[in-house]
Order: sequence, then structure tokens, then C-alpha cells
Amino acid sequence: MKRIVCAVMAFVVVSTAVYAQDAKKILAELDAVQDFSGKDFSALYTIVSQKPGEKDSVTQARMFRRDNKDQFAMIILLPEVNKGQGYLREDDKVWFYDPTSRKFSFSSIKESIQDSEAKGSDLTLRSTADDYDVTSVREGLLGKVPVWILDLKAKTTEVPYERVVLYVRKDRTMLLKEEAYSVSGRLMRTTLYPKYVELDGKMLPSQILIVDELNPGERSQMTMTEQSVETLPDRVFTKAFLEQVNK
Amino acid sequence: MKTTANIAFRNLSRQKKRTFLLGGAIAFGVMIVTLINGFAGAFSANVAENFSHLLAGHIFISGSEKLEGNDELSVIRDDAALQEAVKASGIDVRYMTRRSEFSGTLIFEGKKLRTNVAGVELDKELYLRQRLVLKEGSWDNMSQSQAIILSEKTAARLGVLVGDRILVQTQTVYGQNNVGELTVAGISYDSGILGQMVSYASLAYCNELIGLAPGEYQSMGILTASLKDADKAADILYAKLAESVSMFERQAKDENGAVTPFQRMVREQTKEEWAGVRYRLATINEMLSQVQQIVVALDTAAAVILVVLFLIIMVGIANTFSMVMFERIREIGTMRAMGVQRGGVRAMFLFEALFLAIGGAVAGIVLALIIMGAISLINFGMDSPAFIILKNGHLSFFLPPAKALLNIAIIAALSLVAVARPASNAARLDPAVALRTQK
Repeated sequence: MKRIVCAVMAFVVVSTAVYAQDAKKILAELDAVQDFSGKDFSALYTIVSQKPGEKDSVTQARMFRRDNKDQFAMIILLPEVNKGQGYLREDDKVWFYDPTSRKFSFSSIKESIQDSEAKGSDLTLRSTADDYDVTSVREGLLGKVPVWILDLKAKTTEVPYERVVLYVRKDRTMLLKEEAYSVSGRLMRTTLYPKYVELDGKMLPSQILIVDELNPGERSQMTMTEQSVETLPDRVFTKAFLEQVNK
Repeated sequence: MKTTANIAFRNLSRQKKRTFLLGGAIAFGVMIVTLINGFAGAFSANVAENFSHLLAGHIFISGSEKLEGNDELSVIRDDAALQEAVKASGIDVRYMTRRSEFSGTLIFEGKKLRTNVAGVELDKELYLRQRLVLKEGSWDNMSQSQAIILSEKTAARLGVLVGDRILVQTQTVYGQNNVGELTVAGISYDSGILGQMVSYASLAYCNELIGLAPGEYQSMGILTASLKDADKAADILYAKLAESVSMFERQAKDENGAVTPFQRMVREQTKEEWAGVRYRLATINEMLSQVQQIVVALDTAAAVILVVLFLIIMVGIANTFSMVMFERIREIGTMRAMGVQRGGVRAMFLFEALFLAIGGAVAGIVLALIIMGAISLINFGMDSPAFIILKNGHLSFFLPPAKALLNIAIIAALSLVAVARPASNAARLDPAVALRTQK
């Protein structure tokens, strides 16, 4: 009997260690997919937000990233009333530009984009491996697709969600679903990644569905088009650029 | 001179109807201006006093902790040094409050509303209980740790009743998303704009939601014995605090008055570097100094009304005294023939106008005081939408005596200017010509 217990315990310890190794590798691969260090990345995002009893709202934003310098700029193209508003990340600061007042104000990458379910942090480079600890790994099915289910806890208060659960396809490292939880442990939003597109040898989610779990019926669908890794001019990542595009 | 004044005074009673109408016009103008002055006089004091009760203090101390990456955290972690300084300052403290606050979205059955939630120690904030009148529910329900009191309008917009469970979505002081559950313990009458903006929950649960530890809080409120003494008490307390803890420098109002001293202090803070927690001290008067601009605007409007009304009345006075001169032309001729000098005739007219102006102005002020007294007897209730400008539910007035005297002086001067020309014309009359004149 003792031998059986020992064998089971050894199996659990070894398999947990293997899973932990796998989890770190998976997180590293997920981080690598969205990291365009050494290159510039730009894309056009269209966010369609649905709220019960309200007309669907469409937000369109062009996003520019230079990951090795941690630079980020975004210009709102739609709706017309907010056209020309922009976000710029300079070092640790995120600036918001309002073309009406022609003034810059402090913002945060954790803020929602134009009242949608999407946040600035959804579009910027983030390192899940640096920001989160893996608390558990298990195998499961998402529909009929075998997945790794990674339960992550934030290492830092810099991230918007204290706990996230990732559902990652087993046969190819692709994030299919993400659940984000509040500090108090309540599920706040679920993000689904149903479509992918290949860019520069990497599979990037081209369609993202964000479901607000606190407000039933509120969801945003984010579609990425015109993605490119062509070199961007340096001036794109300056305040002057945000001012200039409004002239 | 005394005889001239007596004649002038007697002349006023010769045409009672005319005197009454002219004096009445003056009295009406003065009454309007005095009412505005009286309202403005009490306005800023009432607003400040009401805000001080809702915000729980005349003097506020808050802490700002520098984090990595230049971020700041609003927190008072250990208030032992602050308590000690308050005690050592010797200021007359009626009571002290500890509060945390967050901005969040209340969610109930598909409806949501953004509001501020103040975390308060309800067992200690007795003044809040007196000021915040509950329409439904009970203060006893607040003994539950996750209870909340909403204003009537907030509850109506969410469609909640006492006992309903609502969600609150907010961010911790570090910016992480958090969600809590609250039970509606009470629904308060809307106490003005502020009442609709703020809901009240327990300090402990508020801290839990925004990521502060038990015992920590964001703002200390000190209610002094009187609002009038708050600024002086703040100066003494600031000096005492500066001896033991790091303080932000207090600021004066900017030149154009658009920025309050408190706003200036927060702006200056962004340019400063410090380590650990640094404290800021502000008084309710500094935070609401823009209210003073409303008082200045009201007083300016009163002055403009005074001048416009009296320009119109001056035309009436000038015409009336021109007529009076014509009516009394033979009388003036007789007086001049009997030896009254030109100056005497002029003085008689001027005295008459002066008595009329002073009489009218005093009557106007008396009328205004009676109306103020009558209005201030009306109880609008603590649940009035105009709560913030009321004093214990009543509209109150304060007329600075100097302002009343100044108004009388302005009216007297304007009346003298208006009568100057008819008085000069009367004085210049040739006695023989005046006596020959047939009306």
C-alpha cells in the first residue's frame, strides 16, 4: 500500500513539475508571438461594441508599436466625434491627446478604449511571463479542441487583472480564450480569439471577442486588419505626430 | 441752515402723493439691492458649512505616497503623528473623521451608474447621520459590512430598493480592476448636487475594494468649533504638522481666482519629488474659494441693478424738481425778496432731495429686512434640492451694515446730482422776475 501511495505521489510531483515547465514554455511562446522587437508593427483595429438597448457603436483606431523601445501610439479614426484623439506611450507615461482642446493629459494603458470593452493594454506589448506566476496547469477541452488551462496570478499591481485563466491550444501554441478576474476573485471579462492571421511567420489573433461578464449583453468585437511590420518613421512616436495628424 | 432744512422737510409733506411715489420708487430699488446683498452675504457661509458637514470637516489632511515609476498613491497609513500634531496644536476640534473614497460603477439588473462612494466610519460620523436624512431604510442596516446608502435619484436610476444587492466595479489605488457586492441599506433624500454624487459605504469595505489595509484611509477631516475659525486653526495645525511630518506647501488663490488654493497645491505637487508619504492640508474655504466668485458676481449684479434703477429714478427726480421749481417760482421770489440768498434756495432744494433719498433708502432697507425675516421662517426641509445653500433647511440672509450704509450713501449722492440742476436754476432766479411770473 505504501509503495502505491509513494508511486502516486511521485507521479503527481513529476507530472506537476513537467506541467510547470510546459506552462513557462507556453507563456514564453505566447509572449514571443506578440513581440515584434527589432521591427515596427502597425495595424488597423475596428471595435464594434454592443450594449443592450443601444445602437452598436464602431470605433476604429490605427495602432503603431516599436517594441524594442517600448513605444506605442494610437490614433482614433472613428467615431467621427472622437476622430483625431490619440494615445502615446513615452517611457512609463501614457498621454492622451484631445484635438478639441489641443491638450495632452495623463492616461493609463489600463483605461478602456472609447467606452468599449477593449483596453489599451489589449493592444500593447505585454509579457505574461514577467507579469504573472502560474498557479496551476491542467489539460482540458475547449469545445472539441484539447487545450492547456493555465491559471495565472499577478506578480505586480501594474496589470489590470489580478488573476487570468488562459486556454491555450495544445497542438500549436495559440491562445483561444482568456478569463480575467477582479482582485476580489469575480470573473469580469472573457476574451475569445476565434480567428488568426499569419504575419512575419507568427500567428496573430485577427478577431477578438470580449464579453463583459458583469453587464450581461455587453460585448466588443475587435478586428485587426492592415497589419504590417514595415519600418515606421521615428516621428510617429512623438506628441508632434498626434498634433500634426489633426491639422 | 437749520431753518432751510426745516422748510425743505416741510416741503416734502406739501405734496404727499408725489413724495410717496418718488420715495416709493427709491425704496423699491433699495429693497431689491438689499435682498441680493443679504442673500450673497449668507450664501458662501451656508455653502461652506453644508459642504463641511457632508465632507465631514473644516480642515482636511490627506497623504500622497510616492511609488516606483513616479506614480502616487493617496493614503494615510499611520496617523499617529497626525493625531499627535492635532492634539499639540490646541485647536478646538469638535470631531475627527477618517474616510476613503473611490469612483465606481454601480450595476443592478442591466442598469449601471457611475458614482463616488465614500467609505465612512458611521459609528463615529454622527453629523452625517443628522445631515443625511433617510427616505427609506435605516442607519441600523449600515452595521452590515457591505451596506451602502444611495441618494433617492441614484436609487431611482438604478431601480433598486432597500435590501437589493448591487455590484460595484472600481479600481484599486494601484489601478487594478475590482468588483464588490453591496446591499442597499438606505435611500437618502437628495441633498443637492453633492448628495447625488456621493454614496456612503463602510470604511472597512471601501478599503478592501480599493486595496488599502484595515486601519488605513485617505482623508482625515477635522470639524472645528466654528467655520469662521477654520482658517486660523488650519494655520496653527499646519505649523505643528510641519514639525513632525513632510508637508506640501499651502498655496494662495491664483490671480484671476479661477483656480482654488487646493487645486494649485495639487498642481504644484506634480512638479515635486519626495519619498514616502507627504501630507497636504486644506480648509473647506480653500477648496470652495470659487464660491466666493459667485458672491462677488452677486454683489456686482446688485451694484449694477442699483445704478441702473437709480439712473431711471434720477431722471424722475430731476423732472419732478424742475416742476417743483416752476410751481414754487413766486414763493422763491418772495423768499429771495425777503433776503434769502441764492445758496439758501439751492440748499433748500438739495435738502429736500437728500431727505427724500434717505427716507426712501431707509424704508427700502426696512422692507428688505422684513421680507428676509419672513422668507427665513419658511422651512424648505433638509431634503430640499437647494439644500446646499440653506441653513438648517431655511434660506438665510446676512446684510453687512457697511454695505447697507454704502447703498444709502450712493443713493443720497445720486439724488443730489439729479437735483443739482433744478436747484441751481431756482437759485439763479431773479426775485423781481419770479414775483412777476404768472403760472
